[in-house]
Formats: sequence, C-alpha cells, structure tokens
Amino acid sequence: MTHPVLQIEDLRVHYRRRRINPFAAAQVVHAVDGVSLSLGKGRTLGLVGESGCGKTSLARAVLRLVPVTSGSISLAGRRVDSLHGAGLREARRGMQYIFQDPYSSLNPRVRAGRIVQSPLDVLRIGDAPSREARVAELFAAVGLRPEQRALFPHQFSGGQRQRINIARALAPEPSLIVCDEPVSALDVAIRAQILNLLVRLQQERGIAYLFISHDMAVVKHMADDVAVMYLGQIVERAPSRAFFRAPLHPYSVALKSAVPSVRGAGATSNARIRLAGDPPSPIDPPPGCRFAPRCPVAVGECHQTLPALREVAPGHAVRCHRVEAKGGRVVGPMPT
Amino acid sequence: MADRVPLLSVEGLCVDFEGTRGIARVLSGVSLSVAAGETLGIVGESGSGKSMTALAILRLVPDPPGRISRGRIVFAGEDLAGVSPQRMREIRGNKISMIFQEPMTSLNPVFTVGAQICETLALHLGLRGEAARRRAVELLKDVRIPAAEERFGEYPHQLSGGMRQRVMIAMAMACEPALLIADEPTTALDVTVQAQIFDLLRDIQRSRGMGLILITHDMGAIAEMADRVAVMYGGRVVEEGATRDVLERPQHPYTRGLVACVPDLDAEFPERRALTEIPGLVPSIWELQEGCPFADRCAETMLSCRTAMPPDARVADRRVACWQRPERVA
Repeated sequence: MTHPVLQIEDLRVHYRRRRINPFAAAQVVHAVDGVSLSLGKGRTLGLVGESGCGKTSLARAVLRLVPVTSGSISLAGRRVDSLHGAGLREARRGMQYIFQDPYSSLNPRVRAGRIVQSPLDVLRIGDAPSREARVAELFAAVGLRPEQRALFPHQFSGGQRQRINIARALAPEPSLIVCDEPVSALDVAIRAQILNLLVRLQQERGIAYLFISHDMAVVKHMADDVAVMYLGQIVERAPSRAFFRAPLHPYSVALKSAVPSVRGAGATSNARIRLAGDPPSPIDPPPGCRFAPRCPVAVGECHQTLPALREVAPGHAVRCHRVEAKGGRVVGPMPT
Repeated sequence: MADRVPLLSVEGLCVDFEGTRGIARVLSGVSLSVAAGETLGIVGESGSGKSMTALAILRLVPDPPGRISRGRIVFAGEDLAGVSPQRMREIRGNKISMIFQEPMTSLNPVFTVGAQICETLALHLGLRGEAARRRAVELLKDVRIPAAEERFGEYPHQLSGGMRQRVMIAMAMACEPALLIADEPTTALDVTVQAQIFDLLRDIQRSRGMGLILITHDMGAIAEMADRVAVMYGGRVVEEGATRDVLERPQHPYTRGLVACVPDLDAEFPERRALTEIPGLVPSIWELQEGCPFADRCAETMLSCRTAMPPDARVADRRVACWQRPERVA
C-alpha cells in the first residue's frame, strides 16, 4: 500500500502564554486542536479560514517550525513529529515552504542565486558545481533569467520575488510544498501568473501542495480537496467540487458567501449571510461547538456539546450537529 | 447620467515628482467625478496612481518632491488645486475625509481610542470635555462597535483589525464629511470582516447622502460597492463607466485582463484551466514613454499605441482611452 505524501493525525499545537501574575494558571492558546488530514501525491489540499484560526500554525507544525504538542505527522509513511537533528534535516528534503510575504522572506543582503542555493547547502545536496547548475535550472523553471542570479532581492518585483521563493522551495526536490498564502501579497494581475506557475510545476513534478489561503476563489481554482478551519479545528473537509457545489457547515456557507463576486453584484450582496463579530479567542474556546456563538442557526445542543467531525458522504466530513441526511441526501442547516 | 451634479470633479490632473533621474509624471491627465450619494470605485495595480489620486484630492502629495502641476480639483464649486493651505486644512477632515489601508498603523498606539476621536472633535468642531466624550461614544455606536463605552477607554492593540477599521471610520465620520475617500479599507481584513465593513460604509453613505471614493485592487469589491468605476493604469484613467457595464463589457484590453485574471467563485467548475495572465509588470514611473502606458503588456498593440497616448473616446456613459476602441464602445 502506498502512503499518502502527508498524513496528520490528531495534531495539537498549544502555546503557553507568558504569565503576568505568577500565581495565576498559565493561559494556553489552542492554535491547532486535534486536526487530522491526509494529502496524496501530486494533489492540492486547500486550507481556508479566517486569520487566527490556526492555518499557519498547522502549516509550520508540519515542517516542524513550531513545537508539536501532540499528535502525529507522517511524510510518505515516515513519522517526522519526533525527529531531531540530522534525521529532521534529512526529512526536510521532502518538504518545503513558500511564505506569504515575498518581501520579508528573502534576505535583502543575499543575491538571488545564493538564496535559491541555500537549501542545497543546508541540506548538503550535491557538490558545488552541481548546485550551481541546479540553481540555473531552477531559475529557468520558475520563469526567471539565469543571469538574474546575481541580483539582490530589492531589484525584483513582488511577483518575481515570489518566483525566487518558489525556486528555493523546489531546490531539494520536495514531494510536499506548503504554500502559505502565496499570492495574497501580490497584485491581482500578478496572482494569475504565480498560480499558473504553481499549477504547471505540480503537473510537471508531481508535487503535493498544502495550499493555505483565505481567498475562496483562489482555493476553488487550485485545490482538489478543501479543509475549512475554525478556531484550531477542522469544521469541514471535502473534495473541492462537492464542497463548492454545496458546503454543509454554516461557517463554510458564510465564508463562501462573504466573498464579493464580480458577477451579479447586487444579487449576491443581498443574499449574503452576515457573520457578526470576530472569531472568539483560542485561549478559552467556547464549550460546545466553537462556532456556536457566531452561528446563525445554532440550537441549544450546539452550545453544550462539541460535535464530532463525521463523514456524511464519501470523503465529505463535517463538524456540525445540524447536518442531517434527508431521503438519501445530506442537507446542511443553511441554504446555499 | 449627463445631468448629475458632481460633488467632486477632477479634471486633467497631473502630478509630477522630481527625483535624481529627472521629473516623473505620476499622474497624467486624470479626470474623475463623483456625485453626492454615489460610490466611485478606482481600481488598478500597485503603482497605477490610485492612492496618488486620493492624496492629490486632499492636497497631501508630499511637496517637495511631488507637485500638482496641472488640472483642477473642483469640490463644491471650489478648485482645491489652488486654495491656500489654511483653507485646505478647513476642508480636510471636515468636508473630505479619508480612511487608510492599514488600521494597524493609522492609530496611535499610546493613546486610547477615545482620546484619538476626541482630538478630532476638538480640532474640527471645538468639542471638549464631556460633550466630546458623549459625541465620541455616539460615533463608536454609529459604526456598530459593541460596548462602545468600554471601548472608548481602550488602546488600539486591544482591538481586532476590524474594530480598528471601525474606529478609523468613526473618526472619518466625526464631522459628517460630504465625501469619504477609502483607500483599500479592507485589504488587511478577513472576508467576513470585509463584508461587515462594506455594509457599514454602505449604510452610512445611504443615510447621509455622502459621496464615496473606494480605492481597491479587488474587482469583487468594486462589483459589490461601486456605482461607477475608473480603471487606472500608469497614472491614467484608461476606462471609466457604470460598474455593471464595465465589468460585463470591458473595452480596454487592460480592464479585460483584470476581469479575466481573477478566479471566479461563481463560475461552473473549471477543468483546471490556466488563468488568463497579463504578461509583464506595471512599468516604473521612470520608464513611462510616449504613447499608451499599457502598450508593452497589451496583446493588441499597434503602431499608434507606441507613438501617442490615445485620447478619451466617449460613447454614452463610457470613456475608454485606447486606439483600438474609438467607436466600438456600445
């Protein structure tokens, strides 16, 4: 049996906050609270949610950039959550990260060529001449000219910088790239270029993407599967097609309807579901369903017991008490 | 709408910046107008001149090195391009207000939200003490901040991004301006919060008949909010018209590119087709040459595009600056 590229089981990432009062109980931020996911070769899993929902903590935990509190992370069947030192370095060949901000994620004092070469140096892949050849090849692959290797980051535009970021992530030939909001800092016209590049690289190289975005339209374009996160938990997980046709969780429905649409402006804006307020704090998550305080269709039960993430259709799991099967069809509590 | 009376009308506005490499024309011949109760969207990529237009309207272009070199900014019968700094100070914040993109950096972190609103009230309306406090709490309630009395005494870091943007809107509304300029007001916010802020702006505008200029790079936001839209590129307005009409039948190649390159959430499921790209980059202001600024990225470039800037072609309610489309605007 082949293993998925990435398998996450019941992952928790908790941060302890610094105590101001030494006698008070330490506050714990439940950034990621029991997330399970699986991602196959050459596929894209879109992870959506508002800021503070734990998307980035989850992504960073996968690469072991933040401490894992509990749970397991396996890369191609191999546990990476407890690796250290040389073992972890070896594992990181298989997984790389594209950061959101193309400005702060490149060292301004280092030439572009060296930036792209750095993973090869750090992970000790190949010898000096082969590394240089590889960098030239990577520049071409992401649509930069090889002679641009000698330039510094400030000499590139935002889109070109993101191409450097992508080239750096490609360098060790990873099987998984975590893309953390790779286009949200870019201009609309440049976004299309970068998204097309990511799709092409995936098709050529069979890389799996964990694609984090708050932009539903971008996720719809990129993802094969979608997971929606709210306050550290997955509230809905489904194949992209099924999800966008009929999201089931009230939060997914609200999130989708909040996106302003280029088409039929007036119509969507009136039919929109408004969420009041901001997400509550992950320090002290509400009892029961975490979305209940903002949910327009919450009932008594929702405020008392946390619903389980249950599979309601093949591959379609949802964490909501009010999703039910009616006459062979699964129906969510909100009209879509 | 030939008979609408514009609240603000910008005519042939040019802004020049002097730098070490000579003089760069950042805005060249921008013409816009917005009526009371109307929303004008300005859309374009970074560096297209959107924010500069807003700054020029408020006479906030840093001078030197910048300078309004030509054009008129007629607001309520007065040409702002020529008024004294003293007069401008009376208009700015009073008659025309602006909210900025970054609610994180636009508020002073060492003063309470209440103190910052009261400062505005004292400066423009002469309200002090209890009267200012009462008005400030009212304003916070107007922008739907829950527990406004408590929020009054809090510091910006205690508020979420959406709340901070509401505070900025409350400050901008303090003097009930006739025109509000919102420069990317929701770019730093989540979509759910963006929807709340848009609702709020729309309600305030409707209840007060205020003119609104919404600057954004998000075509969806334009479709949602704006009655009219001006598409900017390279310091020029390349297309302008009623929003629905422009988005459904874009004429300028740049507008068509902008509409097509955005993934559409409402589209039928695409079979992973590639998105339409606009090749290349926005030209730097130092690189702008004769002719159409979009010529280098345009698929339909012809000889005249390289030699002269196309004049505005007006047909009915639409204005397009493209050599290819003088007559075809329908």
